[in-house]
Amino acid sequence: MSNKIYFLVLYVLNLIFTRVGKGENERNESDERKKEILIKVIDKKSKLITCVSLIHFVISYVVSAIIIDLYVVFAVFTALIQVAYMALVGSFPFNSFLSGVLSCIGTAVLAVCLRIQVNKENKEFKDLAPERAFADFVLCNLVLHLVIINFLG
Amino acid sequence: MAALESPQPGTTSAMRHAFGNVLSVLILVLIGVLAFSIRLFSVIKYESVIHEFDPYFNYRVTQFLSKNGIYEFWNWFDDRTWYPLGRVIGGTVYPGLTLTAGTIWWVLNSINIPLSVETVCVFTAPVFSAFASWATYLLTKEVKGSGAGLAAAALLAMVPSYISRSVAGSYDNEAVAIFALIYTFYLYIKTLNTGSLFYATLNAIAYFYMVCSWGGYTFIINLIPMHVLLCIVTGRYSPRLYIAYAPLVVLGTLLAALVPVVGFNAVLTSEHFASFLVFIIIHVVALVYYIKGILSPKMFKVAVTLVVSIGLVVCFLVVAILVALVASSPTGGWSGRSLSLLDPTYASKYIPIIASVSEHQPPTWPSYFMDINVLAFLVPAGIIACFSPLSDASSFVVLYIVMSVYFSGVMVRLMLVLAPAACIMSGIALSQAFDVFTGSIKYQLGGSSNSTDDAEDTSTSNAPKDDASASKTDKGEEIVKERSSKKGKKKEREPADKPSVKSKIKKKALVLPLEASIVALLLLIMLGAFYVIHCVWAAAEAYSAPSIVLTSQSRDGLHVFDDFRESYAWLSHNTDVDDKVASWWDYGYQTTAMANRTVIVDNNTWNNTHIATVGTAMSSPEKAAWEIFNSLDVKYVLVVFGGLIGYPSDDINKFLWMVRIGGGVFPHIKEADYLRDGQYRIDSEATPTMLNCLMYKLSYYRFVETDGKAYDRVRRTEIGKKNFKLTHFEEVFTSHHWMVRIYKLKPARNRIRGRSKKKTSSGSKSSKSAKKNPWV
Repeated sequence: MSNKIYFLVLYVLNLIFTRVGKGENERNESDERKKEILIKVIDKKSKLITCVSLIHFVISYVVSAIIIDLYVVFAVFTALIQVAYMALVGSFPFNSFLSGVLSCIGTAVLAVCLRIQVNKENKEFKDLAPERAFADFVLCNLVLHLVIINFLG
Repeated sequence: MAALESPQPGTTSAMRHAFGNVLSVLILVLIGVLAFSIRLFSVIKYESVIHEFDPYFNYRVTQFLSKNGIYEFWNWFDDRTWYPLGRVIGGTVYPGLTLTAGTIWWVLNSINIPLSVETVCVFTAPVFSAFASWATYLLTKEVKGSGAGLAAAALLAMVPSYISRSVAGSYDNEAVAIFALIYTFYLYIKTLNTGSLFYATLNAIAYFYMVCSWGGYTFIINLIPMHVLLCIVTGRYSPRLYIAYAPLVVLGTLLAALVPVVGFNAVLTSEHFASFLVFIIIHVVALVYYIKGILSPKMFKVAVTLVVSIGLVVCFLVVAILVALVASSPTGGWSGRSLSLLDPTYASKYIPIIASVSEHQPPTWPSYFMDINVLAFLVPAGIIACFSPLSDASSFVVLYIVMSVYFSGVMVRLMLVLAPAACIMSGIALSQAFDVFTGSIKYQLGGSSNSTDDAEDTSTSNAPKDDASASKTDKGEEIVKERSSKKGKKKEREPADKPSVKSKIKKKALVLPLEASIVALLLLIMLGAFYVIHCVWAAAEAYSAPSIVLTSQSRDGLHVFDDFRESYAWLSHNTDVDDKVASWWDYGYQTTAMANRTVIVDNNTWNNTHIATVGTAMSSPEKAAWEIFNSLDVKYVLVVFGGLIGYPSDDINKFLWMVRIGGGVFPHIKEADYLRDGQYRIDSEATPTMLNCLMYKLSYYRFVETDGKAYDRVRRTEIGKKNFKLTHFEEVFTSHHWMVRIYKLKPARNRIRGRSKKKTSSGSKSSKSAKKNPWV
């Protein structure tokens, strides 16, 4: 199931990037046949390169990283919904609105920090065990949510 | 910072490291003891008493907390001050100090050490100054290494500007707040250096403690975003910067909003907007760096334009919201106090109360030398030393000192914020100087012999330092290479020179002539000695006065003037519990704390109109003043008078503020009426308005009986009107040295004979005068 998602994502991304690549292609349309063939070859090569780089990107994009990113997107989305609700209904009680929005933004920020620390490519956090990073993340979230619940009123 | 080399256990260098660490701890303990004991001069010279004015309020609040518990304290509405308005203590006080002292008292009492609340309050400040010097050690160790840390801690323990606000008995917010400030900065730098989310959490909690303690927390929440912006602009962005800053903003804003004094100001006032803007900027920058790492350059350009445009849109939205908020408030979102910091002339134009406080005036040049002494010219050396390897931490300290120098130039009270920065810089400078001199001495002494012991000696030095600076590790490597080959020194130097230019420079700096280094070392030690002498003198003579008890040396010995406490005790014993006492706002806190009577205005100065009412009453003639005070249910009026003994901070000297503040709200009080040739005079040249006003009469009533000539020792002249009677007030108490005089309002007359005549004859006149003077 997750494989299918990978390939779907890959296919969609490929489509997007080839559309971008095609913009360059259209500029050279007025040239001769030889150049067209050459361009098609180059285009295929660039497609291949972008494919390879995308595969590289996706492979290094571990499942845990996808989960964290989805969580960040979800948190920001929730914050936006709350802001939209506040715009509709009015800002009383302000402390509840503030604590709701800041809790979403807070967990998003903390998840991004976790992502930074867990990312294998990050040279600065080479010797940090991912369990330690996760424990820090949990501790910070505990403090954040304690404050949120106190402030929620 | 370079990581600490962990030496092999059991080797000589491990022994040395261990010895160095033990020595460090011992030195730190001694520094703590020094910081505590240098602040005890006031207890030794006078007694263990709370000083000044503001600490009495804090003491009263702590008494209430210890008696009634935290729930009552949090919801306390105080009706014994600002009569008839009252004051919501829970919502207008910074609770950090009182909660800290209350906790200490509770803990000590629960383990059966029965210290009274007063003792705990008096000694809170020295204890926390010891903590503050330890926090300075930690902070400077993160910036430059533990040698600099020890020097900075020793300097902070003694620096006079910090002593002035944290002597034993000065139970004020700054006692705890400076410790919280330095500790928050330490945790921020630690997070920046290690990139650990754990320290980021601790940083937010320390920031919360700072917000609880002092209104100066806005300095932190503006300095840290400025530093982040500086790092981004100079190309020093790293993921550690993001981890250090972003959780602090979110958690910090929430925690700041938890404190009732701050409340929603944490998101609505201009003091915090810088942090939000930099929050957005750092997200944009972080996203740009992340995409740069994972995409090819072609895609990167496309993607970065996308991200930057989205970031600009969000930024624009937020700025639009901020501008709307700012434009809707007349001061642009800033509070009066912050605005007077940014625009030093603001307070004198618009808020005379802020302008009248002597602590809010700009400092004079000599006060810099008085308050930070030798550090004033060690600071530039420290700034240069911070640049020689510029790291995130050292750029932060440079920014800190630049900002604090600016703010200390605006308000003399903020010299206190300058003190830790100056100590850190000077500690760094001193430590580097000692490095160079002792290194060159050892090099010169070890240059004649070729033994390995000497070589090993040069890799460590007297003061316990970790091998944290890059230059020291270079020197260490160089020495190790020399030791390993056991050849002539010159030959070994050359291959060691190649790895880094820095070691070459350091080697050149090491090679100072022996005599010059020894003399320089001795001079530095003498400099330190002068600093210590000055600090002890300042602590003993200048900053230990409790100002509630005055002393003076004369031919007959020591005179003690305890008039204030005498009069407050008289008040508490000879008046009813519900009697209201009117005085100028300076004495409000002391009256409620010591005399336990309701006052009209006190040092909180939150209501300008109420203060102006009292000021108008003091500036009006007797009948008008009686009307004002009667409308406020006042029974007693308290006046401080220094003319008999020469006490300069009395109410006649403060009279110009009463006129100005009163005239600011009630236009019938005109300052020109009281001035003769632009000066306030009380002698025979004084204006009739001045000679008839209540303050003059209450201060100088029966003054002629003291020496027959009514010579005022403060104004150095005889007074104008000497023999007069009071019609609406009666004197009930004058203290021993005439410093405090208490008058009672005479009750209203039963039969009002003259008034009906006045009404019928001057109908038109009364309507005209009613418009001008609302009180008659």
